[in-house]
Amino acid sequence: MNVSRTERIVNQLILVVFALFAVVPLLGVLLSSVTPASQNSGGFAIPDAVDFGNYGAAWSRGNFSSYLLSSVLVTAAVVILSVVLATFAGFAFARFDFRGSSVLFYLLLIGLTLPTEAFIIPLYFNLRTIGLTDTYWALILPQTAQSLAFAVFWMRNQFRGFPGEIIEAARLDGCSDLRLLWRVVVPPSLAPMMTMAVVITMWTWNEFLLPLVMVVSDSRRTAPLGLALFQGQHLTDYSLLAAAGVMVALPIAVLFFALQKRFINGMVGGISSR
Amino acid sequence: MTLHQPEQRAVTGPGEGQAAAPARRRPARRSGKAYLYVAPAFLVFAAFLGAPVVQTVQYSFYDWDGLGRSTAAGVSNYVSVFTDERLRDSFVHAGVLMLFYAAAPVVVGLFLSALISRAHAMRSMSFFRTVLFLPQVIATVVIATIWISIYSQDGLLNQTLRLVGLDSLSRVWLGDHTFALIAIGLVGTWLNIGLCLVLFLSGIGNIAPELFEAARLDGAGRAREFVAITLPSLRGQIAVALTLTVVSALKTFDLVFITTRGGPGNATSVPAFEAYNRAFNTGQVGLASAIAVVLTVVIVALTVSISRIAPRESE
Amino acid sequence: MTKNRLFRLGAAVAAAGVVLSMSACAPGPSGDTAAPSPTNQASKDISSAGPVTLTVWDQNTDGGISKAQEQLNAEFHDKYPNVTIQRTVESFSDLKTTLKLALSSNTPPDVVQANQGYPDMGAFVAAGMLRPMNDYAKLYGWDGYYPEALLKQNSFSSDGKTWQGDTLFGVSQTGEVVGIYYNRQLLSSLGLQAPKTLSDVNSAMAAAKAKGILPMAFGNLDKSPGIHLFGVVQAALAGAPAVDDLVSGKSGAWTDEPSLKAAQQVADWSKQGYLTPGTNGVSRDDAVATFGKGGALFTLTGTWLQQTMQDDLGPNVGFATLTSTDGKPATTGGQGLAWAITSKSAHPDVAAAYVDFITNAKAAQTLLDTGNLPTVLPADYQPQPGTVAADIATQYRDVQKANGEVPYLDYSTPTFYDTITAGMQELIGGQSDPQRFVDTLQKDYAGFLAGKK
Repeated sequence: MNVSRTERIVNQLILVVFALFAVVPLLGVLLSSVTPASQNSGGFAIPDAVDFGNYGAAWSRGNFSSYLLSSVLVTAAVVILSVVLATFAGFAFARFDFRGSSVLFYLLLIGLTLPTEAFIIPLYFNLRTIGLTDTYWALILPQTAQSLAFAVFWMRNQFRGFPGEIIEAARLDGCSDLRLLWRVVVPPSLAPMMTMAVVITMWTWNEFLLPLVMVVSDSRRTAPLGLALFQGQHLTDYSLLAAAGVMVALPIAVLFFALQKRFINGMVGGISSR
Repeated sequence: MTLHQPEQRAVTGPGEGQAAAPARRRPARRSGKAYLYVAPAFLVFAAFLGAPVVQTVQYSFYDWDGLGRSTAAGVSNYVSVFTDERLRDSFVHAGVLMLFYAAAPVVVGLFLSALISRAHAMRSMSFFRTVLFLPQVIATVVIATIWISIYSQDGLLNQTLRLVGLDSLSRVWLGDHTFALIAIGLVGTWLNIGLCLVLFLSGIGNIAPELFEAARLDGAGRAREFVAITLPSLRGQIAVALTLTVVSALKTFDLVFITTRGGPGNATSVPAFEAYNRAFNTGQVGLASAIAVVLTVVIVALTVSISRIAPRESE
Repeated sequence: MTKNRLFRLGAAVAAAGVVLSMSACAPGPSGDTAAPSPTNQASKDISSAGPVTLTVWDQNTDGGISKAQEQLNAEFHDKYPNVTIQRTVESFSDLKTTLKLALSSNTPPDVVQANQGYPDMGAFVAAGMLRPMNDYAKLYGWDGYYPEALLKQNSFSSDGKTWQGDTLFGVSQTGEVVGIYYNRQLLSSLGLQAPKTLSDVNSAMAAAKAKGILPMAFGNLDKSPGIHLFGVVQAALAGAPAVDDLVSGKSGAWTDEPSLKAAQQVADWSKQGYLTPGTNGVSRDDAVATFGKGGALFTLTGTWLQQTMQDDLGPNVGFATLTSTDGKPATTGGQGLAWAITSKSAHPDVAAAYVDFITNAKAAQTLLDTGNLPTVLPADYQPQPGTVAADIATQYRDVQKANGEVPYLDYSTPTFYDTITAGMQELIGGQSDPQRFVDTLQKDYAGFLAGKK
């Protein structure tokens, strides 16, 4: 399709306007984070002196070193657990025929629509009864459960689209189901699995309500929770809050820039571009 | 790579069972082993999500402070959800947020993509796609912190107003009874405009050029072209966009918690916040559960209705 | 799967839920949860307890008290090297939200600062989460050191149902009074003296407004300042005994004339532009900062900000409490949050020793040095006259002598904190009128009292 020059310019202009609209607040927080605290009154301004001390203060005084570590731990565990469990389950739903497979699959799918509020209240009291609150498991297991709804659906799709001939050939060769799954089917599917993994990483890292309810000790607080409570104590300390915010958001932002296509595709369920 | 069904279609179910691939017989094994494969995932799911959901319904029929004994409450909690002014308002507020989180971005996104419908073919599109999508991946807690400073007395919004001489309009937006909810809504609009734009532009890219050619030959103007060709072809994307944004509006918790805690007064209270507050602060677990159930039902009902817009997979 | 099957599935889930609830599956424990009677003999011997980590949760974030707390913690560790203090500090409103969950978890802290009254301490006691401290009170002599009235505020009946009962659950580090900080220079430039009555305040604010000075810097974003504003005005109009009876549920109603007049007064102040514009969106710290830069004549807050005021304005700030219509001092105040020991703590003796260490007479000196008001002022404490420290000490003593302290209004019912803070935001913001405001308060209050019988 030929796009005329004027049209191209207009397109660019509109896109630039909205790109700026999207990015200016984020730019603002970056600038704010390196603004010396005394100069910062909350507005968008280019500081005349660059002060990285805010990051140091947030890291040590604000305990963000610990919060970020907790986030990494929980996120890694959820991703690994979800990927493994969903690979098994997705394969079974895609390639096996068994009674109740539809029902089970749809039960899982319902989990996609449910807000956290639909289950967090009894979950808290259940975990409290068995003594699991304020542990990393209280964060890992429920979030794995939430991710599984998406992950199983995703993996089932992947495995359904997998060329049946290869599977048949492998089976004829006497390949066991386990080997078939992990040696034959998974390796070519790593790319979409990666997509799923980054989306789960983002969801888990950004989760706030679950840690708010489950975590008591400061040492187990994840980054978003740490930021929220930190903010309550430093309501007008804009530079410090900006630095802390950047630290919390940066890992996922970096991941996003590195794997943009995967992120976008994964989040909207994938519509292949041509 | 095969065409993947958008997430939301599977949720609602109609026609889900068939794959989009040609209907050749997929060799499937009958095997009891399948249960073994599915069990771990299903057990985690049932224990930490499934069972608690059922329990939430159970809790909603009791009065409980979370510590001592509970007493049976019949349907009084549900009655409260509909009669208590504060709770009713929270659902109204969620509706208002839906306008900002969903309706506005979708409409603006559609309008813009019609305007720049051929932008998807530009080389720079990939860069724009990344930037426009960026707000979606930032943690809501961070976004809340950012916008608190934007809405503050000397923040970006007031700075801009002062710049264009509208200083009289400047105020502390999040503390203003009339504007606090709108302020929160606008954060949602900011969050979702990029998402909708990206979605619709890529959807337009999938429309066969011949359709446009034919329309042009028929003498159709851009408006007609949009209504007759673009809009119907985008039904899938619109459904996805609406689902994601409507559900995010109803689920709003983080943003309200960090920025206003439901205040000033009750101006920004939302169902998710009310459920949390009553379950874990004021000791009204049964009532909180009822709120959670009602919220979930609303979300599911809306998701199902929206999916009707999406074209059936067999098309 | 067709829609039909999906509906059937959904119905099945719902049915399961209903069936479960119909069955005897009530949530929660089936027994009683009264506070377990302490099983250890109260002892002062800490050094032999071996290495102990004491988890402490507090909300001492303000300048002066934060310094004092860190100092006291360090001194305690010096005295007992085997004890490590693990401190979690949050803002007052955050602590209010997270403390309940923390206490009901399986790993609660050892020592917490609990807000008095029904919403917080009452609920904790009723759930058996706090350890009664009568034995430690005797051991450390708290019952002789603190005024009876203050001890009573930190006490409940052992089932948590009646405030100011027989069982002590905490002691407070700081005394508190809420009043009006004034800018001495601005005040004298208007030709006025420190305000003593509500009408003094009114004339002063009118004079300030006429001269283009912001009469009162007030930020209500954090919601709790609203309680203080209404409390001070109400106490000045109704007198301390009446409000004390009201809050403790003995007599009176929130719709009585003085309370209604107080609501009207606050609404008027907002309408007349005497308060910071957009006050519901301004944080307390922001408002105080404005006052600290000389941007307002008055600000209304408590003695916990003494050090901040001293830092900002030095000798230029004064503090005044109001007298009620009967000529007696009457203002919101009492003491800071109570330091309590959790019932699940494995080290109650160490915890008690810690609590005593940070609240006793020696600690009082540290508190004074860092610009705070301890619960019990040393009898020989006479700060330099003309300073805000002197004002505070004098007012505190006067108010205590006259029994003019009115408890914080949120103590009244378990839901009163939410009711009054939301109501005040609406009253100040102009969304509600005085009658509606007091009616809302009375509804909450009457409902609670009716349920207690």
